[in-house]
Amino acid sequence: MARIELRNLRKDWPGVTAVDGINLRVDDGSFVALLGPSGCGKSTTLFMLAGIYSPSDGEILFDGARVNEVEARDRNIGIVFQSYALYPHMTAAENIGFPLRFQGLEKAEADHRVAEAAALVQVDQLLQRRPAQLSGGQQQRVALARALVKRPRLLLLDEPLSNLDAALRLTMRSEIRRLQRHLGITTILVTHDQIEATTMADRVVVMNRGRIEQEATAEDTYRRPRSLFVAGFIGAPPINLVPALAAGDRVTAGEVGLRASRPVTGEVVVGVRPEHLRLAASGVHGRVAAIEPMGREVLLALDGPLGRIHLLIAVGAGMPAEGAQVHVDFDPADTLLFDRSTSLRIEDVTLTPDAVVAV
Amino acid sequence: MIPAVALKQIEVSGSARPDWAALARRTRVRGMAGQIALAAFLAIVSLPIILPYFWMVVISFTARTGGVSADVLWTACAVIVPAVLLYSLVHLVVFSPGTRLAAGVGLTVVALALLAWLVGSRLHIDNYRFLWRANLVEEIRRKATAGGQFPSVWTAFTNSLALALSQTAVIVTVASLAGYYVSRFAFRGRALFLHGMLVAHAFPAMTLIIPIFLTLYWLHLLDTILGVMLVLTAIELPFYVFVMKGFFDSVPWEIEMSAMTDGATRRQAFVLVVLPQVRVGLIAVAVFAFIRAWEEYIFVRTMLIENKNWVMSLYLYWVADDVMGVDYGIVAAVSIFYVLPSLLLYVFCQKYLTQMTIGGIRG
Ligand SMILES: Nc1ncnc2c1ncn2[C@@H]1O[C@H](COP(=O)(O)OP(=O)(O)OP(=O)(O)O)[C@@H](O)[C@H]1O
Ligand SMILES: [Mg+2]
Repeated sequence: MARIELRNLRKDWPGVTAVDGINLRVDDGSFVALLGPSGCGKSTTLFMLAGIYSPSDGEILFDGARVNEVEARDRNIGIVFQSYALYPHMTAAENIGFPLRFQGLEKAEADHRVAEAAALVQVDQLLQRRPAQLSGGQQQRVALARALVKRPRLLLLDEPLSNLDAALRLTMRSEIRRLQRHLGITTILVTHDQIEATTMADRVVVMNRGRIEQEATAEDTYRRPRSLFVAGFIGAPPINLVPALAAGDRVTAGEVGLRASRPVTGEVVVGVRPEHLRLAASGVHGRVAAIEPMGREVLLALDGPLGRIHLLIAVGAGMPAEGAQVHVDFDPADTLLFDRSTSLRIEDVTLTPDAVVAV
Repeated sequence: MIPAVALKQIEVSGSARPDWAALARRTRVRGMAGQIALAAFLAIVSLPIILPYFWMVVISFTARTGGVSADVLWTACAVIVPAVLLYSLVHLVVFSPGTRLAAGVGLTVVALALLAWLVGSRLHIDNYRFLWRANLVEEIRRKATAGGQFPSVWTAFTNSLALALSQTAVIVTVASLAGYYVSRFAFRGRALFLHGMLVAHAFPAMTLIIPIFLTLYWLHLLDTILGVMLVLTAIELPFYVFVMKGFFDSVPWEIEMSAMTDGATRRQAFVLVVLPQVRVGLIAVAVFAFIRAWEEYIFVRTMLIENKNWVMSLYLYWVADDVMGVDYGIVAAVSIFYVLPSLLLYVFCQKYLTQMTIGGIRG
């Protein structure tokens, strides 16, 4: 088990900076998710932690000691790759036992450890099969057992669930979470699936273009996103972002006027999540352009003076038809205000309703 | 919305039930016709390749000093061709593997019996005397030619084996290491290196024969197996490096990374995890390298002079040169003896060789 710290970590590839100076602390025994869009440098960060890539700059510390120069094989890290990276010519048992070959264990002891790890992830019936004879989910479990068998101080998971079907993903999510709690092992999960990140991890690190946008609990990334990027990335369906003008304590976006709790000036962006909008008798008007059923709820796309706005409403009576003119309303306390020039959220401002300008 | 008229038409055509049985029969007939055409085509195309080899075999077991007659060949063909045709017919009509096998065995027995009866008395192994009589050629010609004594065929065989095995060993080792390096590492001049190798491979090595000859002379490697081996290896290597690079390219990075985080050194990862993935490539390269060395003629003809250094191709050449027109049987027998190792190797490793293009196709 270990406490991990990254200081100004940086990785330059020819022509592209994959990781652009990140600082991060991961507490001993905690579960952190690195979340971000494709190509934002998640895997690169992970591979630097594992010792596969060496950083261009900055420091990696395990329990306060610099490990930049320590080779991958000496770091004692368990890693599950996105492709699982099982060794095709070995059986599941040989795969799981591979890390133990380098530890000089007695054969009996090694066999025992393999059986133990296999039981932990419930692949004890499949030990004699080769990877090609295993399903995706089974391969994933074998890869997990191989990562755990050496009792690593740090477990790294690179999009471990992205190749599984929806049902299996759900099972493996709670499975991995249970294992992590049970073993108390420091874990870093890389994913571009926000649900995966928010349901599994204690803390979520949102990355964008090689930088950390926000590091917070799952709830904070949703309720108090630090930037426009985080607001847009967290939450599904995505938040509505409407450009607005602020002058004094008044914020105006098209026909909507809001009153800010303190003076704000300049160009701002108002964010309202689709689940915080509701149909009303009056308010912002728009024409229903599309109706998208999403199980218990329905996503409506409205075209109005504010551009296209999405709102999520419960299925039930009073559903407008396509093409209908409707009005939507919201509680201004649910809105988020961003500074357009810095893309950062303007904190400690609450909005209250002001007059709706009639059009 | 589909107009009502159109709907009506769909209903009408839908109500005329198709004759499923007729359709199935048509597919079957077409499939069989296609198979027959394909088999016929392959048979005709392979005839010019198979017939000379077959004739060589027949000659080596039937010819006597003085000349060759073709009647045994035609008799044998008259038995074998109908047998093969009959078996093809069985294969087309019968689908149970058991019956097919029984038919195959039965036809083989009948054909063999017929052959034994028709030409059995004409077969002999005298032409293979060279295997145990070292001075055979001199005996036939009554005098030594081609610079003195003929060596025993086993001397040539051993030389060929030494040449082919050492060349194979060097090529497999160097090509796999270099292919791995080129596949995995970015280094200054990598693109130039790759292009250079392609050019080197496309370049006709024959044009270098005089400089190579002189170089070997100065190095005192002329007329040694080692010298020829080094030259041939150098000429062949670029191609094999490319082939191995292709195989290594198709081994995912991750399993190597995984091995290294699992505690392996880079070298251990290479040996324990990467090499097993390119096993097919190694086998293919080894077989091709061996066969190429075994069949090499031009360079060994130029650079091996003394008869104690002859390899099999030279032995065959001098035998043919000395007794041709007198004793075709011996030439044919030596030829058979010469191609047998390559042929066996090829047959046993065929399934790996056909996979070579798969790995090699990625640049
Ligand atoms: N070995 C490499 N050589 C050059 N560039 C690389 C290399 N590996 C990654 N990159 C680049 O670095 C950037 C970050 O890549 P990385 O693999 O870390 O992204 P990621 O966040 O893991 O994305 P994904 O979700 O698609 O896996 C990308 O622009 C990528 O093209
Ligand atoms: Mg990645």
